[in-house]
Amino acid sequence: MNLFNIISELEKVDPEIMDRLSHRRSALSALGSLGKKMALAAAPIAIGSAFNKAVGQNTLNTANEVLNYALLLEYLEEDFYAQALAAPTLAANLTSGSAARGAIQTIKNHETAHVNLLKAALGTNANPRPASFDFGNAFLTYPTFLTFAQAFEDTGVRAYKGQATKIQSANQPAILQTALQIHSVEARHAAHIRYMRRGAAAGGQSNIMPWVVGKEANGAPDAVYGAGNPAATFPAEDNITQATLTLTTGLGATYTAADVSAAFDEGLDNTTVTTIARSVVTF
Amino acid sequence: MSNFLKKEGEEAELTTPLHAPIKRRSFFMYAGATAGATALLLSGCDDDDDETPAAGTVSLGSGDIGVLNYAYALEQLEAAFYAQVIATPYASMPADEMTALTAIAKHEAIHRDFFKAAIPAASRIPALNPDFSSINFSSRDAVLGAAKTFEDLGVAAYNGAGSLLKSPDYLLLAGKIVSVEARHAAYVRDLLDNGSFAGSDVVNANGLDQALPVATVLAAAQKYIKETINGDNVGK
Repeated sequence: MNLFNIISELEKVDPEIMDRLSHRRSALSALGSLGKKMALAAAPIAIGSAFNKAVGQNTLNTANEVLNYALLLEYLEEDFYAQALAAPTLAANLTSGSAARGAIQTIKNHETAHVNLLKAALGTNANPRPASFDFGNAFLTYPTFLTFAQAFEDTGVRAYKGQATKIQSANQPAILQTALQIHSVEARHAAHIRYMRRGAAAGGQSNIMPWVVGKEANGAPDAVYGAGNPAATFPAEDNITQATLTLTTGLGATYTAADVSAAFDEGLDNTTVTTIARSVVTF
Repeated sequence: MSNFLKKEGEEAELTTPLHAPIKRRSFFMYAGATAGATALLLSGCDDDDDETPAAGTVSLGSGDIGVLNYAYALEQLEAAFYAQVIATPYASMPADEMTALTAIAKHEAIHRDFFKAAIPAASRIPALNPDFSSINFSSRDAVLGAAKTFEDLGVAAYNGAGSLLKSPDYLLLAGKIVSVEARHAAYVRDLLDNGSFAGSDVVNANGLDQALPVATVLAAAQKYIKETINGDNVGK
């Protein structure tokens, strides 16, 4: 096993790997506390750990880390819709000229635009596109495809929301505004996908609303609507407490938990988002 | 909000009850927001007693509180609009549209009441009087057209105001609300024209939703509010 080949390979998917290896305290201590031979043997583990941080670290510390995380999600979404539009199993539903195909094409075009925008913003710091995304059985049927789409869009909304304060604290107002502008577009996508699922051919889910009621997953993974970490910051979607106020009873009027939970979308941390993505997609 | 203030336990200000005494530091934070109102009161004390000092003008105030008042004003407008839609539904409103529009009305009322409870009373703008005289509530197209205007405007307002906020808590709260407004916007647009959920009139070639400055949003919203809204110092 050639260590430098490994690092070279990793650099292709994570250009900041050398920074991470040479600057991160964890990597330094892992290497520094061992003898030279031991260090060499342990290096792949340290590298693997540093690489995981590129997409699964608990704290995204810089604006670039946040943007590369967003870029990975956009790569995923773009590829998801591109594969759907080309899938023979969906051809009967996504027929040329249909409203359904038009909507999916519109959404796909937005994801492509987001990829290009984020790549341009990151410049040479942009992580490359993963070699492939395997969505498993997502395209087996039209209802299955839309269930996955709902999961990705609702997760995307939560993911961007979860990073807003990170960009704010990095003092990047222009990037923050752009992220917010993407965030609300993802919410429009989510609403439309949910609307599409009401159709008879789409599964006839007539109870689905364009917004998230409670933490009802409508067939998507429960984790999409569950709590993140820390749960106090990123509660599950059935949360009825905002800024310590219990909104069902604390506003001078009585509101149902369904209405209160739907009135607020909750954010999600990047580790939980990445775990959700990897639970249904291989990349 | 700075860490310094957080250490002082002042992050609870968001939920300060209306009757709670204003802490001294909070007072200084809000002094800017209330300065405009004070000036109005003082102007009533000078020699020209018969002068009506800008009656009906509401200043949103400054800083983060100004942004919250800005959101509160827009949520008041939306809540009043949907309450009217539900009270006088357009002819033959289908059951599923009634269900969804009733839910939206509740969401907006919750947003409104939340801001009312969260903004300290000393800095909070009053209840506004809507003017929906230009909207024909018996026409589906007119109602959904107005709803589209309000929702798209709300999304653009939140998107434009996010970077004005200093407090991370307020930013996250705004983010929790704006995506729901975007869901409303998409739904109403699809009712009017299926597939227009993210039309090119609101989402540009870069895939970005609108983000509008305070003055632009208020200029568009003003015709629906009887009071004159002054947002000159929002976020400043």
